[in-house]
Amino acid sequence: MINRAAVLCVPWILLAVVGLQACKSAPPSNPQSRLVAKGRDLFFNETFAGNGRTCGTCHPEENNFTIDPAFIARLPKDNPLFVAEFNPALKENFENPALMREFGLILENLDGFGDLRNKFVMRGVPHVLGLRTSIQSPGGPRTGWSGDGAPGDGSLRSFATGAVIQHFTKTLNRIPGKDFRLPTSDELDALEAFQLSLGRQQDLVLPLRLKGTVPKRGQEIFLDNKLGKCNLCHVNAGATANLGAGSLGNANFNTGVEDLPDQPARLTTQKVPPDDGFHTPGDGTFNVPPLVEAADSGPFFHNNAIETIEGAVAFYDGEAFNNSPAGLLLKQADPQGAGIELDGTQIVAIAAFLRVINALENIRQSIELLEASLEVPFEERGRLLARAVHETDDSIRVLKGGGLHPEAVAPLQEARRLADKAVRSVFFGRRHTKEAIGEQKKARALLVE
Amino acid sequence: MTAWRFVVALVGMSAVLGSSPSAPAAQQMTEQYVPIGHSPGLSGKHTVIGKLQSVNAQEQTCAIADPTGQLNVKVTERTKIWLDRSKLQQPNVEGTFADLRPGVMVEVKPAEHPGGVGSGPAEWIKVEVSAP
Repeated sequence: MINRAAVLCVPWILLAVVGLQACKSAPPSNPQSRLVAKGRDLFFNETFAGNGRTCGTCHPEENNFTIDPAFIARLPKDNPLFVAEFNPALKENFENPALMREFGLILENLDGFGDLRNKFVMRGVPHVLGLRTSIQSPGGPRTGWSGDGAPGDGSLRSFATGAVIQHFTKTLNRIPGKDFRLPTSDELDALEAFQLSLGRQQDLVLPLRLKGTVPKRGQEIFLDNKLGKCNLCHVNAGATANLGAGSLGNANFNTGVEDLPDQPARLTTQKVPPDDGFHTPGDGTFNVPPLVEAADSGPFFHNNAIETIEGAVAFYDGEAFNNSPAGLLLKQADPQGAGIELDGTQIVAIAAFLRVINALENIRQSIELLEASLEVPFEERGRLLARAVHETDDSIRVLKGGGLHPEAVAPLQEARRLADKAVRSVFFGRRHTKEAIGEQKKARALLVE
Repeated sequence: MTAWRFVVALVGMSAVLGSSPSAPAAQQMTEQYVPIGHSPGLSGKHTVIGKLQSVNAQEQTCAIADPTGQLNVKVTERTKIWLDRSKLQQPNVEGTFADLRPGVMVEVKPAEHPGGVGSGPAEWIKVEVSAP
């Protein structure tokens, strides 16, 4: 009798233990972590009393904090990204739904709101990873595609205020307190802290001891100031420039992207005015984006003009770049008077290098997320593991897309399977997570010494 | 062209680019919609909020009284003037020099004097409109 009662009690005790484990949700211990957690909550959930959008609407965590046509195609019709399609007050001159859906482009009134029908630009959504390494310059912070994305003091902290006014408004009157509310000072602090916590906290130190023949050659060309010349403006594949007299921080250049022929958005019948970049009126320059995060966050350039990383590298071999102010400066500085002249194999090699450093960054993030998932309460664990799965998917996609390192793709696929299993497992989650970390490390060791 | 010239040219480019904008690159277009006193990172630090004391139309200058004294600024063709109508629940719009009248509440962002003192040009001036 006693034995039977004890046996009956066992499942209930187990359920209670699991239940208590699930309920354990202590707030982060230190002030900075609490600020980041608050910023995360604001970033993904706060609409600022506007049209329903949050920062996460255009910067979703599960898509590298950016949007592209493939991601957009998976969203439901009532997603607030499409607010111009279902809110009559925003139907005209707020977004261009056709260009949004086909090319991932967002409408911005960078030269003022005086003539909404004619004065606007169409821009892609930059990811917000690695901001700690990419927005500082001696002239002050550079935010957004042209470096002048924030009102007020122009800082990342102030960026959200401008974003709310441009993208969150209920009507085109843009009246604070009626069409939206502006973020408070505390909210701006938290949003900045969260954004700075995302992705890389420091730049790479190149060269890496890469194992693949083609990526290794790509790195050599990237670093060769007489051939690829990439490292002049993307030092260590980051977002800072150094043309010989010390770091310029995040610098602006006119690279001629606006002069590209056959830009996808301009092949349509839609109105796409020229984008004059930095300042109002603009000087035609745009700031340098970091390259480590590039391979899985296309399309590329401020206007999403090029879909593939190979195409983005090839841009610098073309007429638009080599006849641009930045291209002409490079030509003048070249001992042979040459711009950037690369052949197909060299373009692919540089892209292969960019693919591999992107996969390495995804692996770094995946390991960080998997390890963090072992230290947090049950409900937080699922989110971290899900992100690790997304990052691993990216690693696989980026390597496979370039036909690179199939031997590393196999352990990455196993790591993905294990992380996915850990998400769903109540009792063996930790074990699967630790095994996934092991597979990630195995993959990394196949890419770099 | 020699390798030396290559280095010199790059250093030259670097110097040119490095000496470009020295002030933070703030976006002006959304600033228009930020009410007086709420400009992030600027209000209370690098702007002056107070009543317009005097306006000189001939010299295109104005004087603002704030708790620490008086600020004189010049309105140039680059100075943006915005009418802050947020208290009326109406959209903020662009204004002109004629909207600068003694007695009105303004917020002024000096262009070259982030400390809020001096008599240089104003980058922008927000004018409070509290009655229709």
